[in-house]
Amino acid sequence: MSIAILLMGLSAILISAGVFFVLAGAVGVLRLPDFYTRMHAAGMTDTLGAELVILGLMVQAGFSQTSLKLFLVAFLLFITSPTASHALANAAHQAGLKPLLGKFRAPTPSELSAGKEEKR
Amino acid sequence: MGSSPELILNLGLMAMLIVVAFAVVRMRSLFAIVMLQGVYSLLSAAWFVSLDAVDVAFTEAAVGAGISTVLMLGAMLLTDRNAKPISVRQKMGPFLIVVVAGLAMFYAIGDMPAYGDAMSPANAYIGAEYIEATKREIFLPNVVTAVLASYRGFDTFGETVVIFMAGLGIMLLLGLDGKAGQWRAKPNGRNICTSSPPARKMASALEAPVATKKRTVKKATKKPKSKTAGTKS
Amino acid sequence: MSPHLILKVVAKMLIPLIALFGFYVQFHGDFGPGGGFQAGVILAAAVILYALIFGVDAAKKAVPESWIRIGMSFGVLLYGGTGVATWFLGGNFLDYTVFAPHSTHAAGQHWGIFAVELGVLCTVTCAMLAIFYAFGSRIPELSDEDW
Repeated sequence: MSIAILLMGLSAILISAGVFFVLAGAVGVLRLPDFYTRMHAAGMTDTLGAELVILGLMVQAGFSQTSLKLFLVAFLLFITSPTASHALANAAHQAGLKPLLGKFRAPTPSELSAGKEEKR
Repeated sequence: MGSSPELILNLGLMAMLIVVAFAVVRMRSLFAIVMLQGVYSLLSAAWFVSLDAVDVAFTEAAVGAGISTVLMLGAMLLTDRNAKPISVRQKMGPFLIVVVAGLAMFYAIGDMPAYGDAMSPANAYIGAEYIEATKREIFLPNVVTAVLASYRGFDTFGETVVIFMAGLGIMLLLGLDGKAGQWRAKPNGRNICTSSPPARKMASALEAPVATKKRTVKKATKKPKSKTAGTKS
Repeated sequence: MSPHLILKVVAKMLIPLIALFGFYVQFHGDFGPGGGFQAGVILAAAVILYALIFGVDAAKKAVPESWIRIGMSFGVLLYGGTGVATWFLGGNFLDYTVFAPHSTHAAGQHWGIFAVELGVLCTVTCAMLAIFYAFGSRIPELSDEDW
């Protein structure tokens, strides 16, 4: 009995985490500034979000045929959705879309050494 | 339509369908329209699942969202990327027709049987008979397959022939190798095709020498025809 | 290194799975949702995915045009032929019971449905591929500025 409650809680945690990621992805697609950042948010929804929801459902189903089918669906998503995100971002990059860069960026190694010399 | 969560799901799916339909109508980029049509098919497939029509949903997802998107993209690549703008006056006629048809459908809603009504014409007479007889006569768990392939075998034969005809028409019009424009003919015992030397000579002679580089297939097919007319007369 | 390396690797992994799923849908159609139409479309989708990733010419080497021409007609002939066979066995057109008239669990019906669905599978797969090849072979080389 207690194990059943434990599994229920685990699946609830997994599913709500998945829903959180889907929601975060949806907000990100609407709010983030340029294509690549939005892609990053959208890729999260079907990789992490859907994956966690399916994992939660698998916990609920236990060891059964349904669980196996869910596992196959999860496997397919795990392979295809990152590939789709990659293909989309790659196509945009090939077509010459520049990512939106902010004012602040990581300094290159040469700049780092130059800065040190200036301080001295 | 069943319990309230299901009702919310159905309403949400319908709302998304309407939004996508409006987007398709308003959009000008054909690429986006093709993609949105795929989205529309996928949404309606999800809606069919919630209506317990799994077979229909399966077909819609495979054909509508899968294959037809690819085929439409392939067709779109051969044409333009953007739709031609249409003036408002030209849109008025179709708009009127759509409004009248939509109002008629709303008027007819009252006569429709409730969802899952066992006494509705679709479920009561021959449908109930098939469901009952499948267990006895065909021993298949999936009534849809039994009806499709056995009870309604004639209809499915017709559908298969329709698909065959579609493929046949495409083959006759376009050819499988994309060279349907480059034809060959044998009038009066003379071999003529667009790639054979005499025809090519004619084509290049008739065109300006600058244009030889970008000679379209259409132009090339026209030239030998005039030549055959000349030899006949 | 090819810019589509990841796509190629993933597609090579997925295409057999898609084809397997197509056959599952075909032969499990008696028990679950599915049947010849859906299975044909899924099988065609596997080949089309191959053509999209590796090019139409590579796909034509794997599934030549002659297969398509033959398969498309073979499917319709198999369907019609099943009906003609029922005639010769003394039944009505497409009345599958005559294949095994004394069976207690309608084996004749099962055989008939199997043959008919196989015909549908052949025709649908080949017709879809014919449409794709017809459009796909004509597509001009795309430049990246096109998008």
